[in-house]
Amino acid sequence: MTARLGSFLIYASILALAPIGHALAGPAPRQVSIHVDSVLAADTHEGVDARLAPLGRKLQGLFAYTTYSLVSHQDGITECGKMIAFMLPGGKILHIQPRAVDGDMIAMEIVLFDGTRPMMTTDLKLKDNGTLIVGGPRYEQGMLIISIGASTGTHVAPPREKIEIPAEATTP
Amino acid sequence: MAECSEISLLLGAFDDSELEPNEMQEVAHHLARCDSCTAMLADYSTIGRGLRTIAPEPMLAGFATAVTVRIDALPQPLSQRIARWWRGLGDVFGSGFAWGTGAVAIAVLTILLTTPFAERYASRRLAPASSAVSHEVAKLEQGAAAVPEALAQRDSGTRAVMAEDSQAIISRLEAEMPSVAVWSEPQSDTTVIWLPDQP
Repeated sequence: MTARLGSFLIYASILALAPIGHALAGPAPRQVSIHVDSVLAADTHEGVDARLAPLGRKLQGLFAYTTYSLVSHQDGITECGKMIAFMLPGGKILHIQPRAVDGDMIAMEIVLFDGTRPMMTTDLKLKDNGTLIVGGPRYEQGMLIISIGASTGTHVAPPREKIEIPAEATTP
Repeated sequence: MAECSEISLLLGAFDDSELEPNEMQEVAHHLARCDSCTAMLADYSTIGRGLRTIAPEPMLAGFATAVTVRIDALPQPLSQRIARWWRGLGDVFGSGFAWGTGAVAIAVLTILLTTPFAERYASRRLAPASSAVSHEVAKLEQGAAAVPEALAQRDSGTRAVMAEDSQAIISRLEAEMPSVAVWSEPQSDTTVIWLPDQP
């Protein structure tokens, strides 16, 4: 009787500790696709760059600028725990490090540098295939808006033409 | 054959039945033939009965209970107290039920208390510290679709709430500028962090 009760107690303890072990062990590294669009937003009444669809409509719903021009589009693939860097216009540098995939949320750290100086650091969970927009830095005659998209591969973004950053724009 | 001088030394113990069986038998055989020792034994018996009537007998009523109470009052180690409580629980509910209930309680408490911390520990890593102004934004405000010019004036330290169907949950936000606007646009499934450019 005592032996059976002891066995039951051990089994219950294992059941109780299993989620902890699973959480501590963590899931296997998963690949995360990152898409970064750099957009110049200005009030020069030039409309929306055709290459921005459907991001252009999203930006028009968010902001009141009259011009949205795609400056660069970059894609990258990394995995949880590995940082990926993007060179952005205006000497900005974007570091993105996915940390974990929790359901349909991707936990990541994002650091935006102005040259070597960190402008912004954030820890967030972004929905799979969701979009985070970081804007505000002045760029040329307007503002720089950075659209950051992340997906784990189950949602495939439509292929887009890669646009390199102008050489003068990458100089800090 | 024992002499009376030897037997007389054993008479008191014989009267109290404290002798060994062989000594009891020897004294009994001697008494059957010796009147003087028999008379001496009778005297011993008389004196013994007299003494017993003189000496008061201690009151033993409640003695066992009093001893038990004093034992219980003695300080006991925690392990013994827990074991005694456990035995008492087993007496009341049955041993199997008590063990099962205890195991389930331990399992539930372990899950409730440790799993969130373990998950948080596994999913959380410290980011490098920044000397810039720290903005703790736990969650974003649901449906806060507003123009950036207005939100740029918002105090960046404001805590807001984000709906479960929002696109991002921001747990930490540090920026070098003193004010940062953060909002969510559910219609376009987009979260915005606006960093006003400094002059």
